[in-house]
Amino acid sequence: MNNMSPEVALHRISPELRPMLCSVVRDGRVGLDSTNCLRVTDLKTGCTSLTPGPCCDRFKLHIPYAGETLKWDIIFNAQYPELPPDFIFGEDAEFLPEPSELPHLVQWDAGDPECLLQLVKELIQQYHHYQCQRLRESSRLLFEYDSLLEDPNYGRNMEIYAGRKNSWTGEFSARFLLKLPVDFSNIPVYLLKDTALDPGEDVALLSVSFEDAEATQVFPKLFLSPSIEHALGDSLALQIPAFPSGGCLIDYVPQVCQILNNKVQYVIQGYHKRREYIAAFLSHFGMGVVEYDAEGFTKLTLLLMWKDFCFLVHVDLPLYFPRDQPTLTFQSVYHFTNSGQLYSQVQVSYPYSPRWDGNEMAKRAKAYFKSFIPQFQEGAFANGKL
Amino acid sequence: MAASISGYTFSSVCYHSANSNSDHEGFLLGDVRQEETVSISDTQISSAELLQVVEIHNHDPCAQLFSFYDYAGKLNEENLNSILKDRRKNVIGWYRFRRNTQQQMSFREQIIHKQLTQLLGVPDLVFLLFSFISTANSSTHALEYVLFRPNRRFNQRITLTIPNLGNTSQQEYKVSSVPNTSLNYTQVIKEHGAEFFDKDGVMKDIRTIFQVYSALQDKVQAVCGEVEQSERVREKIQEDVNKLKQQIALRKHKTAEEEKRLCAAQNADSHPTPEENTEPSEASPLSRITFHTPSAPERPSTSPNPPSYSDLLSQDDSLLSSSSPPTSAALLPRPQAVGSPGHPTPGPLGMGPGLGLGLGASSNPVTTPSTPVPWQW
Repeated sequence: MNNMSPEVALHRISPELRPMLCSVVRDGRVGLDSTNCLRVTDLKTGCTSLTPGPCCDRFKLHIPYAGETLKWDIIFNAQYPELPPDFIFGEDAEFLPEPSELPHLVQWDAGDPECLLQLVKELIQQYHHYQCQRLRESSRLLFEYDSLLEDPNYGRNMEIYAGRKNSWTGEFSARFLLKLPVDFSNIPVYLLKDTALDPGEDVALLSVSFEDAEATQVFPKLFLSPSIEHALGDSLALQIPAFPSGGCLIDYVPQVCQILNNKVQYVIQGYHKRREYIAAFLSHFGMGVVEYDAEGFTKLTLLLMWKDFCFLVHVDLPLYFPRDQPTLTFQSVYHFTNSGQLYSQVQVSYPYSPRWDGNEMAKRAKAYFKSFIPQFQEGAFANGKL
Repeated sequence: MAASISGYTFSSVCYHSANSNSDHEGFLLGDVRQEETVSISDTQISSAELLQVVEIHNHDPCAQLFSFYDYAGKLNEENLNSILKDRRKNVIGWYRFRRNTQQQMSFREQIIHKQLTQLLGVPDLVFLLFSFISTANSSTHALEYVLFRPNRRFNQRITLTIPNLGNTSQQEYKVSSVPNTSLNYTQVIKEHGAEFFDKDGVMKDIRTIFQVYSALQDKVQAVCGEVEQSERVREKIQEDVNKLKQQIALRKHKTAEEEKRLCAAQNADSHPTPEENTEPSEASPLSRITFHTPSAPERPSTSPNPPSYSDLLSQDDSLLSSSSPPTSAALLPRPQAVGSPGHPTPGPLGMGPGLGLGLGASSNPVTTPSTPVPWQW
C-alpha cells in the first residue's frame, strides 16, 4: 500500500528534513540484503491541517532484515527540525535499545544529512543484538548461533530474526540469513551484464528457517543477486541439498558454499573450455567456419561439402560444457520442408567424451560428420523439396 | 483499574494540544483512590472486589518539547521541579499528544516513563496518549485517546471514562465522580445546599419522584391482571360461539340433504331419467361444501377458527376451566425503560439463509490448476 517513489516522498517532506530523508532513500542500504533499499511510506504531518505544505514530518521506514521487512515509524517535528526523531518499532513492542548505545542519537546533528541513516544503522545493530538475545529461549538455536559466530567467515555477515513464540503451540521459530563468502569476481563479464536492472553488488545469501526450537523442521533457501542468477543458469540447476535432520549449520553452510563455489568454477571453466573448443574448430576447419560467437563462445556454424553436396553444421555449446554435450544441427542448403524452413536434423548423441581436449573434439567431430553425411543426404533428398 | 477525567479537564487538554503546531506533552494531576465492592450471591458468601480508581483533576502542560529531558531521553530533575513546583506530589501520570501516529508508546516515551516512575515515586504512573487523525481531504478529524499503564505487563490499557460524554438522551445524566476542586464552587454549594438536600444528603426531589414512580408501577401491574382476566373470559365466549356456529352449519346441511332426497324421490316417480339427475346431485353437495367452507380471500381475522389464547400459553384445559389463579405482579415482567440494561436489544439482521448461501458459494474455490508456468529464456 502507498508504494511511494522516493521522489514523491522527498517532495512532500518538510524542506528542513529533506536532506536527511534524501540520504536515506537514495543511498540507504543497510544489512546484508543490499539489493533491497530502504523504502518510505505513509508520510504524514504533525502540524495542524491548516499549515501549508510541504510539511510532512513523520513516516514509516521499511527495512529489509533477515528476510523480513521491519516497519518502523519515525517521528520528527517540522516546527522544530533541529530536534532528534522518535521511533515506534512496529510489532516489536519489547525492543527497547539503550540510548547510550546510539551515539548518533545522543549527539544528534540536524545539520548532517547522514545523521538519520547512521542512527538507523545503529538501531539495526541493537535490533540484531536483541534478536540474538531472544535466541536464548532455545538452547538448540543458541548453539547454532554461537557456533557460526566463532567462524569468521560467517560470523560477521549474519542476520538473525527470532520469531514470535506461537502462543497456541508454544513453538519458537527463527531465521538465519547468512552472506556466503563466495568469490564471483572471475565470472566472465558477458554473463553478468545481461540484466535489465541495476545489478548492484554480486551476493549470495542463504536463508535458513527453523520452524521449531528443536530444529526438526528446517527450510533452507538460496538467494542470488540477479546477475549471478543469470550467470549460473536458472535456479533449478542450483539446487541445494535439504538440511540434514540432526545436522547443524556449521556443517551445512560450508557444504552449500562448496556447491556454489563448484558451480562458479564450472561456469568459469566452461567458458574457457568453450573458447578452446571454438579455437580448435577454427584451426581444423579454417575457411569453413561461417560464423561463431566471439563473446560467449556458445555457437559455431560450419559450411561443409562432401561429394558436391554442401551442408551447414550448427554447433550449440551448453552452459555446463564440457559436462553437457554440444548439440549438432545439420542443415541442407538445397532442401526445404513443407513449412518453408531449410531441412535440418538435430543430433544430440554422438561419440563424445568430456575428457577430450578441444583438438581431440574437433578431430572426432570431423570423423563423425563424415560418417553421418550419407544418412543426412538421403534424408534430405527423401523428405525435403528443392 | 479504572480511570476518570472530568469533562472540563479533558477539553482543556484537547484545547492545548489541538492548538499546538507540533507534538505536545504535559503532566496529569489528580488522585488515586480505592473502591471496594461487596457483592452477595445466592450462596450467601460475600466477595469483596477492590478497584483502584484514578481520577484526573487537572493538567499541567509543558511549554515546549525536551523541556525536562535531553536527546537521549535522560531526565533532568532540576528542570522537572521548576515545571511542577509544589504540584509534584499530585502527579499521577503524564500525557503526550502527537498527530497522525499509531496508538502505541514510542521509544522515547517508554524511556521517559521508566525514569518518571522512579523519580516521582509513583509505582503505577499512567500515560495518556492523544492522537489526532485527519483524512487526506481534511473533511474528518478524529481525536483518539488511550490511557496506558506501562508499568504493568503487556502495557495494559485502561478505559478512561468522561462523565456525560456520550448519548445523554438514552442514558442518565450523571454527576461526575471527579470532584470539582474549585473554591468558589464549594462556597456556593455550602450556602444554598440546605434548600435541596435532606438530612441524609439525598436531594429531596429524588425521593418524591421515586414515590410517584412506585405508585404508577403498582397501578400498571393491577391493570395487567384485569386484562388477563377479561382475555380469558373472552376466549371462553369465543369458543362457545364457534361451537354453536358449527352446530348451525351441521343442521343446515342435514335439512338440505333431506330436501334433496325428497325432491329426488318425487322426480323418480314422474320422470324416469336418472342420468341427468345424478350429475346435479353429485355437483350439489360439492357446491354446498364450497358454500360452507370459508373462501380464500376472506381476511384471517374473520375466519371461524382463530388460535385460542390458551393454545398459545399451554395445552392444559384445566387452566381454563379452573378458576384463574390470582394474578400477581410476580407472573408478569416489570416493564423496563428503553436503553436500560434489562431491555432486550434487537437481534442481528440479515442472518437468513441468503447470507449463508452467499458465503457457501464463495467458499467453493475454483481449483485453478497450478501448473507452473515454465520460465524460459
